[in-house]
Amino acid sequence: MTGSLVYLPLFLKATGTTIWLSWLALLIGAVGGTLIALLRTSRLWPLRIVALLYTEAFRSVPILIVLFFAYFGAPVMLGFDVSPFVAATFALALHASANMSEVVRAGIESVGRGQWEAALASGMRMREVMRHIVAPQALRVILPPSVGVYITVLKESSLASIIGYFELTRTGLLVRETQGGGFGPLLALAAIYFILSYGISLCGAALERHYAVGGATAGTDAVVGGMA
Amino acid sequence: MNGAPILELKDVVKRYGSRTILDGISLSVVPREIVCIVGSSGTGKSTLLRCVNGLEDIQGGEIRFEQTRVEARSKGIKAVRMRIGMIFQQFNLYPHLTALQNVMLAPMVVHREDRKIVEERARALFEKVRLSPRINAYPAQLSGGEQQRVAIARALAANPHLLMFDEATSALDPETVGDVLAVMRDLAAEGRTMLVVTHEIRFAADVGTRMVFMDQGKIVEDADPREMLAHPKTERARQFLSSIRG
Amino acid sequence: MNYTFTLRTVFPYLGGLVPAAELTLTISVLAILISMAIGAVVAVMRRSRLRAIRFAGAAYVEVMRNTPLLVILYLVYFASPAIGIRLSSFTAALLGISLNAAGYMAEIIRAGLIAVPRGQFEAATAQGMTVWQMFRHIIFPQVFRTIYAPLGNQFIAVILASSLASAVAVEEVTSWMETVGANSFRFFETFVVAAIVYVVLCQTINLARLQIGRMLFRQPDAR
Repeated sequence: MTGSLVYLPLFLKATGTTIWLSWLALLIGAVGGTLIALLRTSRLWPLRIVALLYTEAFRSVPILIVLFFAYFGAPVMLGFDVSPFVAATFALALHASANMSEVVRAGIESVGRGQWEAALASGMRMREVMRHIVAPQALRVILPPSVGVYITVLKESSLASIIGYFELTRTGLLVRETQGGGFGPLLALAAIYFILSYGISLCGAALERHYAVGGATAGTDAVVGGMA
Repeated sequence: MNGAPILELKDVVKRYGSRTILDGISLSVVPREIVCIVGSSGTGKSTLLRCVNGLEDIQGGEIRFEQTRVEARSKGIKAVRMRIGMIFQQFNLYPHLTALQNVMLAPMVVHREDRKIVEERARALFEKVRLSPRINAYPAQLSGGEQQRVAIARALAANPHLLMFDEATSALDPETVGDVLAVMRDLAAEGRTMLVVTHEIRFAADVGTRMVFMDQGKIVEDADPREMLAHPKTERARQFLSSIRG
Repeated sequence: MNYTFTLRTVFPYLGGLVPAAELTLTISVLAILISMAIGAVVAVMRRSRLRAIRFAGAAYVEVMRNTPLLVILYLVYFASPAIGIRLSSFTAALLGISLNAAGYMAEIIRAGLIAVPRGQFEAATAQGMTVWQMFRHIIFPQVFRTIYAPLGNQFIAVILASSLASAVAVEEVTSWMETVGANSFRFFETFVVAAIVYVVLCQTINLARLQIGRMLFRQPDAR
């Protein structure tokens, strides 16, 4: 196991890559998810159906096949190569957006009807209602489960190793190969992921306690994203 | 109303961590007695019952039921439990079973009796507690008083030698308390042996053959109910009884 | 973009899809069963009176929920020879997925146990039931009602997780998509077919769960 200590800087860099990839995917997913959530709560039923199908589809399909499709299918279909990074970000963001849309929807819906009506009755326009009344309250409900989504994305980022992206898992596998096989690097991998993931979930729990004042939250435990 | 004691507690001590709940309880019950245990909340009344059938273990003293030593975690405790029927404050009916199934379960599963015999007995018991029309209802569809009467039938179905009531009417609406007390009166009149933890002093005075007043884990007074109500011998009993009267 | 979506191109390969789908289903069903057994043990451990056992149970859950499934699979697949056990790809994948799923299952079962009021245990014990009788007649039926829906969702999660078995050379549906895609270059078509298979599996399970639930738990409403 001491042999792998030499690789520590490599592991650290790879950890950074993993965190960066996950963070980017979550960001894009959050934006996308918010859009989908708005569609889901729209007054026009075709929009609602489209959003529903989108969400259901991406929660019934393993992220791995989306990843393969993005990486292998793109060159054939679009005519240009797609880097593993781009393919991974795309697939992770897509999946995250489906999960985030549910989280954001729950957040929007957690703001009682009465609030909308009071705000509209006072003359505010929809945009202003959203901005001053709904968003602040919804955010309180959205933040804790978002941490859960982030942890899911973090774990799913390990799949990028399969298409050759040099994040943490791929690095660990490589180190293992150069060491002639064995336990050590894989355990180190597991340990790093665990520390990252568990640490973030503790922050999420703290966030939850902080925001718990004044209303129910969905909780970081709400199963968003499955088993990864 | 005499004979060998059916239940004997000798210097029973029960502690929870550093708190002493039962502080040297000695009590003897002979068959056909109706012993009513009264006292303020938290004085160990319920715990006493729960020690008798081994739901709680004891740290000192001895409990004997029908000459068998009661030890909470022993193999023999099952035989003791098969002879004692317990009725809880929160009814504790099994929600996924109908009233009839609730009553029939233990005799079939624990006492291994024949299904037909058990069903006959169960139906007769429903007649007795006046709930025959509700035989196939689920607990969620029954009122509190009805649930408690089913619970009583459930306890009776196992042919117990001793019935223990743990504040059986405390969780009921005032209107339904009377129904349950009526059933308990009938059971007393039949000659059952009953250990009743209760706040219903009137019931204790009417039906009880003995009233036991507990305070801070000890038995302070143990006498005929009407005697104790008219002439309490201790200051604590006097205070308690006057505070709940009226 | 000179790529036209022609589903017909995939037809010759559909024969291989059937055994692949079978494998997906087999791994998933076995993994659910195994994870329920392990999860039940861990859930009971978390309710033990002994702090060390409670901690061990909690640790298991946290490790499984915070480690990527892929890493767990690699650990089982690559590291088992190192401790002297030879596992087939299928067994390694099954073991890895089961161990991971058990972490989630333990929490589901634990929530089910917590939902049973303490009085139920007491009434059953007071009637003289043995632990096994109590569990079988009183506790299990109530726990099952509580965990039924989350169980269905967990089944779906396992179906999706089974796609990772392709990473350790199990020839299930995702592996089929990879191989056929590589051979035919029709990645869009294979993706759509694979996606349809998964969607059908997941939605069928969901609908079955709802329907069976309606039949099993046919209790009239409370007053």
